[in-house]
Amino acid sequence: MLVDFEIIKRAQAGDASAFNEIVLAYRKRTLGTIARLISRPEDVEDVGQEVFLRLYFSLDQLRTAEVFEPWLYRLTVNAAYDYLRKQRRRMESRMSDLSEQQVMLADAMAGGRVDHDVRQRKQISEAVDAMLSTVSEADRILLTLKEVEGLSLKELEKIYRVKENALKVRLFRARQRVLKAFGEAGHEPSAKGAAKAEI
Amino acid sequence: MNWTNRGDENARLDALFRAYREACPDPDVSANFMPELWRRIDERQRSVFFMGRWARALVTAAAVLSLGMAAYLYIPHSGTSMFSVESYVEALAAGHAQDAPDLPESVADEL
Repeated sequence: MLVDFEIIKRAQAGDASAFNEIVLAYRKRTLGTIARLISRPEDVEDVGQEVFLRLYFSLDQLRTAEVFEPWLYRLTVNAAYDYLRKQRRRMESRMSDLSEQQVMLADAMAGGRVDHDVRQRKQISEAVDAMLSTVSEADRILLTLKEVEGLSLKELEKIYRVKENALKVRLFRARQRVLKAFGEAGHEPSAKGAAKAEI
Repeated sequence: MNWTNRGDENARLDALFRAYREACPDPDVSANFMPELWRRIDERQRSVFFMGRWARALVTAAAVLSLGMAAYLYIPHSGTSMFSVESYVEALAAGHAQDAPDLPESVADEL
């Protein structure tokens, strides 16, 4: 744990500075997880604030120190899930809408101002985003937590409050779907290039 | 698709996920993060407070109304009550009296 349970207890009692300490300790890690879950950098802080907002109003329900981190992950997962669902609805109505950063990056790429490294990172990010968009938001989050964040099945069990076997089945199915999309996208230049760049 | 191809694709997918992890490091947090978070907390607290006040006001109004209605039904109202206070026999007698024709006195004597 990045903070003592004593600090959490103080925050539960309404100590604003203790709550600040918790946010400061966990915000970078939480924002990193959100960034990899939602793939839209300009909205990461907004979703992150939603996570800590939910934490603030539900902190009094926390009883033991060991459940704090899985619980924070759970809040993160729920906020990312809500965001992705809203995003999918928005994307359905405005397919041509590009994020601010995508527009800026495309503009910079066109002007030849982006170096190879940035372009490659963007390619990888887009390839993974495209592949993960072939599965449901729930499966996307589960796969990202397991494969990208590197959480163990035991940790996922605590976050999802689901038996390990059920998680294994769900992960296997989601991975199969992504593999299928990966196989199909393997013929396209962006995904192929991204995968080859790494291997 | 044979097993070798599938195994190869699995390995490539794992590599792509690893590359994605490296391509998306934990972002830097803007200076505005904490002030904006506290602004949102205050905003939510205010709305919760107002909703709580509305809920309390509604509960109080409902309780007062219920007590008023209970008192109205409990206190007997002479004449104006919607419920009759006379017994069944009295009500029947009153009804028959109204139904009997008013015969003139001479006709009554002849009968």
